[in-house]
Amino acid sequence: MDYILSIVILACINMIAVLGLSIFTGFTGLFSLGHAAFVGVGAYTSAILTYYYYVPFPLALAAGSAAAGLVSLIIGIPTLRAKLRSDYFAIAILGFGEALRVVLENLEITNGARGLPGIDNFTTFPIVLACLALGVFFARNFLRSRWGAACIAIREDPIAAEMAGVRLFRTRLLSLVVSAVYCGLSGGLLAHFLSFIQPVMFTLVQSTQLLAAVIAGGMGSLSGPLIASFVFIGLPEALRVAQMWRLVAYGLLLVLIMVYRPQGLMGYSELSSFFRRKDNPGGRIQP
Amino acid sequence: MKTPGKALLSVKGLTRDFGGIRAVDSFSFDVHEGSITGIIGPNGAGKTTVFNLVTGIYRPTAGSIFFEGEEMAGLRPDKIVRKGIARTFQNIRLFNRRTCLDNVLTPLLQRERCSFPGALFGTPGARRLERELHERAIELLSALGLGKYASWQANTLPYGLQRKLEIARALATEPKLLLLDEPAAGMNPEETRALAALVAEVRRNFNVTILLIEHHMDLVMNICSPIVVMNFGALLAAGTPDDVRENPEVVSAYLGKGKKTNERTSG
Amino acid sequence: MWPGLFLQTLITGLSIGGIYALMAVGYSLVFSVLNFSNFAHGAVIMLGAYVGLALAAKLSLGFGIVLAGSIAGAGIIAVLNEKLAYSSLRRRKAPSLYLMISAMGCAVFLENLVYATIGSRFYAFPEFFGRQVISIGGSSVSLLDVGAFLFALVAILGLHLFINRTRTGIAIRAGVSDMTMCSLMGVDLDRLIAIVFLLAGGFAGVAGVFLGIKYLVYPTMGWVTNKAYIAAVIGGLGSLPGALAGGLILGVVETFVSSYISSVMRDVFSFSLLIAFLVWRPNGLWGTDSEEKV
Repeated sequence: MDYILSIVILACINMIAVLGLSIFTGFTGLFSLGHAAFVGVGAYTSAILTYYYYVPFPLALAAGSAAAGLVSLIIGIPTLRAKLRSDYFAIAILGFGEALRVVLENLEITNGARGLPGIDNFTTFPIVLACLALGVFFARNFLRSRWGAACIAIREDPIAAEMAGVRLFRTRLLSLVVSAVYCGLSGGLLAHFLSFIQPVMFTLVQSTQLLAAVIAGGMGSLSGPLIASFVFIGLPEALRVAQMWRLVAYGLLLVLIMVYRPQGLMGYSELSSFFRRKDNPGGRIQP
Repeated sequence: MKTPGKALLSVKGLTRDFGGIRAVDSFSFDVHEGSITGIIGPNGAGKTTVFNLVTGIYRPTAGSIFFEGEEMAGLRPDKIVRKGIARTFQNIRLFNRRTCLDNVLTPLLQRERCSFPGALFGTPGARRLERELHERAIELLSALGLGKYASWQANTLPYGLQRKLEIARALATEPKLLLLDEPAAGMNPEETRALAALVAEVRRNFNVTILLIEHHMDLVMNICSPIVVMNFGALLAAGTPDDVRENPEVVSAYLGKGKKTNERTSG
Repeated sequence: MWPGLFLQTLITGLSIGGIYALMAVGYSLVFSVLNFSNFAHGAVIMLGAYVGLALAAKLSLGFGIVLAGSIAGAGIIAVLNEKLAYSSLRRRKAPSLYLMISAMGCAVFLENLVYATIGSRFYAFPEFFGRQVISIGGSSVSLLDVGAFLFALVAILGLHLFINRTRTGIAIRAGVSDMTMCSLMGVDLDRLIAIVFLLAGGFAGVAGVFLGIKYLVYPTMGWVTNKAYIAAVIGGLGSLPGALAGGLILGVVETFVSSYISSVMRDVFSFSLLIAFLVWRPNGLWGTDSEEKV
């Protein structure tokens, strides 16, 4: 029972990060293969605060999230400007992931590549659930707001978006910071659940898992990636699949989805719309 | 012949180079307030490039763009939109996977001073604003006859209605000047007549000056005055429909002799 | 007389720079023709190294054949990659986001497939160049380093000639400016794109072998390609002379930082260099300002 609970907690922590990436990739249409770096920043920041400085847990979580948000500006400001293609951001965040790993492995305070053990086990199921619920609540409101509409407009057509009054740079940057904050929160919760973190836990492997959940769940949807995320954490555990084969599957899944069904499971729609009778005779989502 | 109304848009010596190609060459013209001005010319004459320059998508290589007396050249597109210039595109650029309502709602939202925490927490104030804008969006859609399509996904609309939706979205930015890029492209004569009526109605009901690019001569000749003719990026002629129709240079470059004016001509 | 350390650092830097350049060229070639970042390039490099390794270790073949085999192997893999993962997206005119996701999927798939089947063991190439050193300006530099640098120069020059002098090369340049026009003029697009990927794959194969010889062969070696992407940005995305210049510059500067300051900070430095370029000169040294057609 304990084991199942811990899987559920891990899944929920993962879902929070997936919410963030969903806003950035699924709703703003920007590619990132490095959001795990923000999870790492959140994890290490909050862990260092509670471990060395006995900062209260909620404050440490908040600080971790804020740190992740601030760090995202380092990558975002040079690369998300209106005239620059998304390739620049993708390359920059890949580079950032590497640079971060090197920094984490070489600082005294992070205890290097050996990792930071003995972090207090502050994360409980109710806390994670509450964070997830709040996360979904804020995400939905964000997407309904003027800023969310701006993000989605950018995804659909950046030039038309500008003609509708959207500020490209500011909106992309906001989307990045919001997604980084979500990832940072996820990292803080993770660190205080596993009680041990290592730089290698926040690399391309984890970024791939996040992206796979967003794509498989469906771009432009919140419920889809949440479901996918849950399945991706739960199923391999249930089937005892080794890490490397999971990644083989994720990689293959990404390609197959892009080629055969780019909208993934629930692209551009939500679970709630299946339960509400929708008057949409125009109907079918065309990805 | 002077046309009434002050010059809302005044383009002077506008030039734009792409590598070795001069797409727009020292182009100058005025758009007078309250008019429906037309730009015609063969394909590749630089008409859409002029639109892109005026709306800030391209920066001019040289020249000025004055809107209400203010220099627009070099401003960001979204800033230009806020000053009061809106446009539609030659190849429709809707927010395809959003509903018609959301397409029109997006610009309405961008114009509001919203509070970020208010929006995040879903405060009563934020919710009220949402409802208001929602109603305004429906009104706007209905004004263009798209009311019943509000919850349809934009790219599932028939072609002609997609064009109208684009116009509705442009109007949501409350422009003083509306640029229409080939609004009648792909339309049959009946649809073109309906569009002509719509354009005139839009000018009346929304109090907006219109500048349009078109190849459908019957549309242009019927509703536009003055008409500006472009060729090879430069001004060829400008004047009333009669002036232009009878201008020998325009005829040889573009209109052709003995062509019926209600036939679609292409460069 | 050049100080010994300086010269050695320079040569090593040029050598690694040459390898970066080889990697960057393949990436830039695809970028310039198909207008997207092929993030699977690293995986092709890795597979090229393994192919070369198999030829060298299992079949004990000589360097020349090993190299040729890698070029062919990696080239074919790259073409297959395009056909399976990108071509249907390209035909649908899918946004570059989709192509990048598919590319990443390929990279992760291939890398972990190798990891899961062949294993994570680090393999070494047989000693092709031995520990041979030659004397330049009074210092000993490894033959491998000199060889890698020269090979990179020659290969890229060869590509440059190909692109500018042959019919196929000109077709590729035409495709770079206007794909649609190209196909309207009767160019077989599929064949052209296959050739582009064959070339890119070939360069990847060479890079893989040199990387494998200089360091080791292992499943995640493809991620060195991140440096190639940075090099391509420095030189100007999509520009072939830029890829060469960017690769060499990055290699040399990185190696100097590594030698004279701290080897640990090398990756942090590369990232900072990238950011610096993005802030001050995003189009790189040779890049052209490409604006989207409206």
